This record gives sequence, C-alpha cells and structure tokens, in this order.
Amino acid sequence: MSQGNSKKGTGKVAVIVIVIVILIVAGSAAYALSRRSTTTTPVKNSLLVEEGEFPDSLDPAVTYSTPGWEIMNQIYQGLVAPNGTSVTTFVGVLAYNWSISSNGMNYTFYLRHNVTFSNGDPFNAYDVWFSVYRTIIMDQSPEWILGQNLAAGNGINFNITANILNSINYSSPNSTDLQYMEYRNQSVQVVNPYEVIFHLGYGYNGQVPYNAFMMTLTTPMAAAVDPAVVEEHGGVVAGSTNAWMDSHAVGTGFYELGQVIQGQSITLVKNPNYWGNNVPKDQLNYAIEPAILNTVTIEYKSLASRIADLKSGTAQIIEAPIQDYNTLKTIPGVNVTLLPIIFGSSQGAYFMYMDPSALPELNNTSVRMAITYAIDYQGIIKSVFDGYAVQWVGPIPPGFPYYNQSVGNLAPYSYNRTLAAKYLAQAGYRAIFPNGTVENRNNPFPTVNFLYTSDSTSETETAQIIQSDLAAIGINITLTPLTFPSYEAVVFAPGNESTQYPMGINFYTEDYTASIDYVDAIANGYYIGTSAYYNSSIFDASVNASSTFNQSAIIQNFSYITHTMYYQYAIDWLYTPYFLSITASDVTGIIPNPAGSGAGYFMFYNTVHYT
Amino acid sequence: MVGRRELTVFILKRILFSFFVIIGTIIIIFLISHTLSKDPAALWAGPKARPSTIAYVTKEYGLNKPLYIQLLNFFEGFFSGNFGTDPVTHQPVASEIFYYFPNTIELVITALIFIIIIGVGLGYISAVHFNSKIDNAIRLLYTSAWATPTFLASILAVLVFTSYIHAFPSGGMYTPGLTPPQRITGIFVLDSLLTGNFGDFVNGLDHLILPSITLAFLNFGIVTRISRSGILNVKWMPYVKNAKAKGVNERSINRNHILRNGLIESNTVIAVMFGWLVTGTVVVEEIFSWPGIGRFAYNAITSDDYPALIYVVIIFTILVIIANLIADIMYAILDPRIRLGGTVK
Repeated sequence: MSQGNSKKGTGKVAVIVIVIVILIVAGSAAYALSRRSTTTTPVKNSLLVEEGEFPDSLDPAVTYSTPGWEIMNQIYQGLVAPNGTSVTTFVGVLAYNWSISSNGMNYTFYLRHNVTFSNGDPFNAYDVWFSVYRTIIMDQSPEWILGQNLAAGNGINFNITANILNSINYSSPNSTDLQYMEYRNQSVQVVNPYEVIFHLGYGYNGQVPYNAFMMTLTTPMAAAVDPAVVEEHGGVVAGSTNAWMDSHAVGTGFYELGQVIQGQSITLVKNPNYWGNNVPKDQLNYAIEPAILNTVTIEYKSLASRIADLKSGTAQIIEAPIQDYNTLKTIPGVNVTLLPIIFGSSQGAYFMYMDPSALPELNNTSVRMAITYAIDYQGIIKSVFDGYAVQWVGPIPPGFPYYNQSVGNLAPYSYNRTLAAKYLAQAGYRAIFPNGTVENRNNPFPTVNFLYTSDSTSETETAQIIQSDLAAIGINITLTPLTFPSYEAVVFAPGNESTQYPMGINFYTEDYTASIDYVDAIANGYYIGTSAYYNSSIFDASVNASSTFNQSAIIQNFSYITHTMYYQYAIDWLYTPYFLSITASDVTGIIPNPAGSGAGYFMFYNTVHYT
Repeated sequence: MVGRRELTVFILKRILFSFFVIIGTIIIIFLISHTLSKDPAALWAGPKARPSTIAYVTKEYGLNKPLYIQLLNFFEGFFSGNFGTDPVTHQPVASEIFYYFPNTIELVITALIFIIIIGVGLGYISAVHFNSKIDNAIRLLYTSAWATPTFLASILAVLVFTSYIHAFPSGGMYTPGLTPPQRITGIFVLDSLLTGNFGDFVNGLDHLILPSITLAFLNFGIVTRISRSGILNVKWMPYVKNAKAKGVNERSINRNHILRNGLIESNTVIAVMFGWLVTGTVVVEEIFSWPGIGRFAYNAITSDDYPALIYVVIIFTILVIIANLIADIMYAILDPRIRLGGTVK
C-alpha cells in the first residue's frame, strides 16, 4: 500500500516537472516558429549584416578596426573616396574637385556647397580644418595615417593646440580665428569657406611628397566632424578620446546612427536630411548617392550563429573565413564568391620571419636558405586553406599596384628538401637528406622558439607543418604560441624585442590601400624580425617609391626592394588567403573595394539593395 | 532563543570573514595587475598605443605613483564606483559593468530556474526509482550533460535550434529595431513586464530561452546528482522508516521527511551554482552573442583590455564569495549542526 502511494506520488511529481518543462519549451518554440514564419521573408527596405567583432569606437579619429571603419564610412564622409573598384583613382565626396601642385606638396580641394551634417549644421572648409587637426591633436593609434604628412605645428612659428581648436567659432569665425585657419605655412590652410589646401611636409615623413596621400584621405581619420557637436560634448583634449564621440555619431553621410545595443548590434538609419538628396542626378557618384535601403543593421555574432542566420534567411550578408568556403557554397539562395586576391591581401598577407638579433646563427645566409627551401608552401596552402590562398613574393602583397612589376621573374620560394639539407650542411650544421644521409652529425642546429598566435587556427596548423618540414632536414623548433593580444604585443613591440622568439609567423593587414603601406611596415624594420635586414638602401628606395609620381621610378624602387629582400632569404613569404563575399542571392549593388570595410570588402551601403 | 542568537552570530562571523576575503582578493588582483609588467601603462594601453595614450593611461590610473598610493586610490575608486575609463572602448568601466551585468543576471537566473526544475525533479525521480532503468537513464543523461564542453553544447544548440529547426533566434538579447523598455532594473524581460510592454517581454523571452536552456543543460547534472544522493540518504533513515511504521501518510513523509531533509545539500549547491554560472557565462554569452558580463570579459581578454578585465575578475570573485556565503548561511539555517560546530546540543 505504501509502496503504491510512493509510486503514485513520484509519478505526479514527474508529470508536473515534465509538463512544466514541455510547456515552457513548446510554448516558446511555437511562438518563435509562428513569429519566424512571418519574418523569414526579408523586409525589402532593410538589410541585416552579421559579423564577428563589435566596433572599438564610433569616433572617426579613434577607431582603428574594420568594424569601426565600416560604421564610420556610412555616417561620416571625407573629401574623396576610391573611384568604384579602383584603388588608384578617386571620386569627390565633400570635395567636388581638387588639384595637386606640380611638386606634389600641395593638394587644393574645392568643396561642395549646401552640404549639411545630419543635425542640419552646414559643412564648410572650417570643418575640414577642425576635423584634421582634431585627429592629429587627439593622437590616437591611427593618427599616423595623417601624421606622416601633416602636423598641428609647422615647427617654426605656428602650432595648433586643443585650446585653440576649442576656442574658435567655426560657424562665424572672427578675424583671429581666420588668422589661424588661413595661415599659409601650416598643414591645412583654409582659403575660403569652400576651398582648402593641404600642405605636405610637416609630418614625420619630412619635406617630401607622398603619392598615396589621396588614399590616406579616404580613411575615417580625415572625415568631417561637426565642431559644434564636439564642443557641445567636451571639446578636444590633447592625447585623449572623447567619451561622447566614442558612442555617438553626427556626420554628413547618407546614414545616421540608429540604435546601438552595446555588444550586440548597431543599426544605421537613412539620413532624412541627407544633402545628397538635393544633388542633381547627373552630378551624383556612387559615394554620395542617397541610400536606397532604409535601415542597415549590423549584428555581431559568433560564426556558428552567422552561418545559421544565413541559412535561415535571417541575415543577408555575413562575414566568414575562407576555411568555410566549401560549406557556404552548398547553402541554397546564397552567393558565395572568391574575391580577387587583392581583397585577401588587404586582410592579411602572411610571412615567416627569421631574426638574427635573437639568434646569431640566423645571420648565416645558408641557414636562411636551408629554412626557406625546407618549407612546403603549396602543402600549407592545400591543407590549411583547401587551396584557397596564393603564395606570394613580398613585401608588396599580390593584387596590389606594382606587385607584378616588382616581382618580375622572381618565382615564389620553392620546396626542395635536398637543397635545404645541402645548404644546412654547407653552413656546418647537422643536415638530414631525403635519402637518409646525415651530415655534420655532431653539430645540430640549436632548437628555436617559434612564435605564432594560438587564436588563429590557420597559423596553428601552418606552424605545425613548418615544425615538421624543418625537423625533416634536422632543425628542431619549439612551438611557442601566444594569445593574440600577447602575440601582438611581441610582434608590434617598439624596439621589436624578439629575443625569445627568433622565428615565427607574422602578417600585415592594410591601413589604406597602397603598396607603400606594406613596404614601409615590412621592409623598414617596424615589425619583429624585419629590423635585422633593414638597411638604408631599402629605406631610401621606399622613400623614393612613395615620393615620386613617375611610374617607372616607382616600379624601379619597389622592384629593388622586392629583389633585395628576396635574395636575403630573411622573410619567407608564406601565403595570402582569399577573401569571401557572402550575400543572399537577392542582394545586389555592392561595389567591392579593398579599401572598404563593409563586411570587409566594400565602402558604402548606400548602393546596396535587393533585386 | 539560543539557536537564533547562535545563528545571528554565525551569520555575522561569516559576513565578516567574507568581507576580509573580498578585501584580500582585491589586493591580490591589484598586485598581480600592477606588478606583473614593468610598464603596466604600456600594457594596459594596448600594443598599438601612441605615447600620448600611454601617458593618458598612466595619468588616469595613477600608475606613476608609489604602489601603496596606487592601492589606496584603487580602493577609493572601487568603493566610490569610479573604476576609471576603459582604454579600449573609452567608456567608464563602471557604466560598462552596470550595463552588462544585469543582462548576465537575467540569463543566469533563468538558467537557474531551469536547473532547479530539471535538476531537482530528475534527482527525485532518479532516487525514487533507485537502480531501475529510469535511474540509469537519468544518471547517463546528467553525466553526459555535465561532461559536454560548453562551446560544443552551445554551437550544437545554435545549429540545431536556429539553423535546422528555426525555433529560436541565433543570438542577441532582443531583436534590433525593437524599442527597449525604460531601464528600471536593467533586466530586459523584467523591465518589459514592469513597464507593461508585453511585446518586448515575449521578444526578450524568445531570445532568452535557448542560451539559458543551454547553460542549464550543462549544469543541471550536479543538482540532479546531489538531490538524488541526498534523497537516497534520507530515504533509508530510521526516522523515515519510523514514520512509515506509524502509518504517516506517504505524501507527508515525502514532503516533510524525505524532500525537506534530502534537499538540504541541493539548496546550498544551487546557491553556490549562482556564482559558478555567472563566471561560466563567458563561452555561452560569446556564442549566443548575449551582451552580458561574460561576453564583455571575453572581449576584454581578446582586446588586451586590462582595466576592464581587472574589475570583471573582481566582480566575478565577489559574486562567488557572496554565493558561498549565502550557501553557508542557508546550510546553517537548514542544518543547525553546521553553526554549532558539528554537534547538536
């Protein structure tokens, strides 16, 4: 009797528990299913984009990340933008025309009339003056993009400070204000409210022209911000960010900042007061056309969620790594395209460094050649990237201007174990030949710590292959991965103190689409392991390449750098993975450009719409 | 009366002890964060920081002052709620934590409700059906759930319930574009209810179910196991047999003798689990794009955001200590032997 009661009681509890759980789950699921059945068809005036990383800041003078620049390019505008898919020609945005002086030192921009910020404030040359100096005086991480050619002072008798910036009345400048802004010997000179001249030569590059200057002006660093808005919210503080500007945005662009759900999503809403609405159609270009879609929402999600949402039709554009290409191709109703290699190069071109300042044995060219020939480059590309990457010869990455001319007849480094063992034996170290012969048995090469970031599966797999390849000829490396922040701190460390890591994998990703951006970083010793082979002739060649407008001279200098580095065998150029464009098949109007940050590969959302 | 006084003394002692543990923990975290690097300002400002940013961080956190002054400033800042400015996001760290923390509480409390319902329920069923097929099945279930890595369960949940079944959103706390309710508690679904916004409430619930069930699935096993063993321990106690022999109603035996005494340990485990879940949300929140303190911590780790990370670690630590304190107090209330040093007077 009592046992029976017990079972009866147990049964009741079990039923109650199960019913509660089922009710909660089923109720929610039923609601969700019914709700989703009404929302799976995308609303045709909005776009959902899904990416991985939330922007670091919404201030154009501060953000230094692809997601940040993506938002900036929709809300703020600069004087010029890349011309469609071109990386060498430009279209006017806030400027309708410009001219460059014959010596390449002065850029005069003629500004559009009737341009307004989204709050209605008019835009003019004073705003350009304010915005550029604000970026320079705030001096945040990406400031160097402008700071290499421009500065807040002329080094003699003129210096703009935060106090001066904050004191000027930009809507109705008095004579003192105009004295500052119209002074001739400074980086940014206002000629009149609709004309401004950039004088190069005050930045750290010195008194030389810079042929990639126009491209630096397409970055958010040079975007126009409204001085009235900045002054209303704390003004400019030297060396410091502005908390309000970090989380709010008022620009001249075709979109306004809508809802920001911190850590989750950012919604861009069509700017109802957009000045481009009043521009005659024949005067519009793609960079200033009014937005077609009412809203663009960018959600920051895990890769699994992004792919799930693409499959379900919830998201129309997602970002995903090249390793998922084969999976993504199978999803119906989705266009997945391998973009030209310049887009991959813009995201990251990878190389292996050998640093003799950390391990003197690496000073021996035969050792470096042995290591170079020991690596199976194509094997890495095949097994790590399913073949969707290209081997390159740096420092200019493949697809970038002057790559082909600089490389000329140089073939990417090849895999040849016999040759590798031969060079190692020649250097006097124990070398294992493919046929099993061992030379210099008693003098093994010292074991080397090998740096890479464990946050990257592709780097991890590559490091493992390199370890195996080098072991095959008799060189043992110890894999010493670091998390990305620690890795970054080592590879970008001022002074490049790499003594713990004589060898490792490094990469470069563009700040602006110009070959000189890569050459400067990789060839001129700003990176770990690259300083060891830096020499004044390479530096001079890079200065010559960036300061002339003569195409032959540019090619000649880049070619010299490429060939010199190639025959030093100091950096083993590994791979550049392809980059994917992933969109729902009814999304159209995207104009890809490697300078763009929209989903990693286009500048502006204003042209995007549905078929 | 004596029992109540002893309980009060016990609770006060535990609170005082916990306070000192918190202070000690803060000091340890402070020392680790301020002495590990020769130049903490350069480390905190990030690898690509300009000298001006490093100077700003040095000034903001007083890193050029003697260590004991820094410690005093740190305590002053901590207790006044001024955690400084985040060098990565450029927002006040305190306001960031104030924003993200309620979102995590929402997730954790919901998960805890699922854990209690499923964990205690299955533990009871398992105990009642001791050594039967049902018992074995439940043991297999909770052991498997317990052994499943968090990232795996989360990714599978996303794939199954959003990619194939389309039952739930793949992530986020609510649908972008929705006008959120006025912030009262910071807990979205609760604020929706308090402001009478049923649409927001349902939307929030829709987003909440999958991550919270996943979190619950990964953690209900310990509650089931403890509940099961607690009930089994009590089930065969002489006083239960005695009650049965006296002819006490079966329901009364179950409720007053078996469940009440058998679930003492479960209660304390659930309290401890609260702190455990909060710290365990890092992976779940990242995969479900839940804007909580766990995701904030994850981003702080991946972006080298030391100032934010320091306070997140302190908050996590304090929560674990408080959860343990609550567990101790609950245990003392439910089992007087604890507060009396293991003997019953």
